[in-house]
Amino acid sequence: MIYILEKKELDQTLTSWSENFDVFAPQKVEKYSQFVPFKSFSELTFENPHNTRFPPKALFLPQTEVLQKYRPNLNQLQEVVQTPKPRVIFGVRPCDAQAVTLLDTVFNTQENVDPYWKVKRDASIVIGMGCTNPCQTCFCTTVGYGPFNHDGLDALITEIDEKYFIEVLTEKGKSLFTHLPPATKDQELQVHSLQLEVKENMPIAFETKNLKQKLDKIFDNDYWQTISESCLGCGVCTFLCPTCFCFDIVDEVQRNERIRNWDTCMFRIYSQEASGHNPRPTRRERTRQRLMHKYSYWLDHIGKIGCTGCGRCVRYCPVGLDIRAMIRTASNVKSEVIND
Amino acid sequence: MNELERKLKTEIERLFDEDIVDLVIAFKKADSPLRPQPAFYKNKAELDNLNYNSLCQNNLANYLTKYPHTTRIGVVVRGCESRSVNALVVEKQHPRENLYLIGIPCKGIVDIRKIINLTGEEVNDYTEIDDEISVRVNGNKVKLDRKDLLHDSCLRCVHPNPTNSDVTLGDLLPEGDPSIVRQAVESFEAMDRSERYAWFRHEAERCIRCYACREACPMCYCTECFVDHATPRWTESSVSPAGMQAWHIIRAFHQTGRCTSCGACERACPMDIKMTYLTDKLNENMITKYQFETGLDDKTQPPFASFNMDDKKRFIL
Repeated sequence: MIYILEKKELDQTLTSWSENFDVFAPQKVEKYSQFVPFKSFSELTFENPHNTRFPPKALFLPQTEVLQKYRPNLNQLQEVVQTPKPRVIFGVRPCDAQAVTLLDTVFNTQENVDPYWKVKRDASIVIGMGCTNPCQTCFCTTVGYGPFNHDGLDALITEIDEKYFIEVLTEKGKSLFTHLPPATKDQELQVHSLQLEVKENMPIAFETKNLKQKLDKIFDNDYWQTISESCLGCGVCTFLCPTCFCFDIVDEVQRNERIRNWDTCMFRIYSQEASGHNPRPTRRERTRQRLMHKYSYWLDHIGKIGCTGCGRCVRYCPVGLDIRAMIRTASNVKSEVIND
Repeated sequence: MNELERKLKTEIERLFDEDIVDLVIAFKKADSPLRPQPAFYKNKAELDNLNYNSLCQNNLANYLTKYPHTTRIGVVVRGCESRSVNALVVEKQHPRENLYLIGIPCKGIVDIRKIINLTGEEVNDYTEIDDEISVRVNGNKVKLDRKDLLHDSCLRCVHPNPTNSDVTLGDLLPEGDPSIVRQAVESFEAMDRSERYAWFRHEAERCIRCYACREACPMCYCTECFVDHATPRWTESSVSPAGMQAWHIIRAFHQTGRCTSCGACERACPMDIKMTYLTDKLNENMITKYQFETGLDDKTQPPFASFNMDDKKRFIL
């Protein structure tokens, strides 16, 4: 079912949701755009073709999260699972919503449920903003996803002229829009043909067929040394990545808290072992890990590529490393040349 | 290739032909013309993708500490980079005899974020002829003025010419005006204490602790940074106000007498956090209190790394 929301009614819609929900939307923070609680219509940036700089995964997996509080010397631990107020996350790009579904396979499976993740997922209605103007750095279709994909969304907006066409995808999503007029059959066709056209016009950045096999074969190749040479070893690519989820648990003893912080395989200390040994001692192994995790190990686990093509790592890498170019070159490395 | 790039290429070819270096660190063209990448040439065969323009935003001195002291490295250096190299030589991070500095007087680095703020993200192509810079936005050519695009650190640059380079390509430029650095420090000092703290907090608390500032800085070469130290832990590792402020203030203090104001930290930061207002003040203190400016030669120890029998205060001796 597709409903129609006139653009000029959006302000009032968001305001009315704010009565019952915490509403998050991409808004201007400094000179970039970020998901923050909805304050002002004029600061909204969700129509910008590019994504928010900081990924919305942080709304489900905060960079720093208190897991437990304890009282010193009393041997008491108290789990702190804070159920958030019901919330609407508005204007999530399909790549980022897709990423959240990939993270569900880590934090919310039949065998393992992370309560901190689950309460935030359950409390959220996610409304997607389809991408009518994909950026130069976007490559979602290359990795098997798309600019109007539905995964992880409760409703998806397609913007045409002065109207938002809202495809309702779940019951949760439906609850927000039933008061709106439905689109006509012709309008529905128009929406779907636009979606298809945009998708088909996106260039394919690299070939993914047999990519995993190719990468696995060059695990020991000198290629990794070459591409890691300019890598600074900072955490920009992984912290801004919507699918990276690694974390580190620390005790902040002065506050009596056990805390989960994002961590990244790009840091030396990430893989540093207590013995002093480090299985990923140089940038060579660490750069390889980032690419292999997304393009090989995710496939081992769930059969999907663990990169949704949002392009943040491409845009914000301080040395201009482009994961698309890295993958392209990697697929052309001759696997029989093993130098190690 | 423009004239400067051709000269640079010829010089690098000569270095390989005459077996002067094992490796040359320069910049190369990447897929996006707006994001040239650091390049590591081991021989002259790959030099066709050599690139040099104002978008080359990294401080290449950063990479010296990643190679053994025995590697003979040729490196392209602008003013700030040459001073970083000198400072690293003083700190015995690479022997000067195994370095060959190819100096280029620098008109300042163009800040890609400033282009994007003016044109939007969908900017493409990039040409630069003297001070005329043009890009393409949605198929249309847009002319931009270099002075609107220079990175803040470059607007305050005092020494654009390389110091101590083995060869200098291009014409030397006039020195910058030191009072411009003062203006930046002054505007911070003009605030009262609570305003200054609010400013510091506002900048520090956007930090996502990716440590791009640290990794982009040539002087941050410790194998174990204080924030990574586990026993004892010196700071909180979470994105708490205390942890983020500790990182920013201690990072700055560790740069005292070592920072060359290249601004690589700010250009690397994904959250547009300002950091040079702290190091610029420390640099000024070094000049006024100790008559020391980082990297003007490759012999003088920074004040906080040296001691003398006739030091004013004798707390060490």
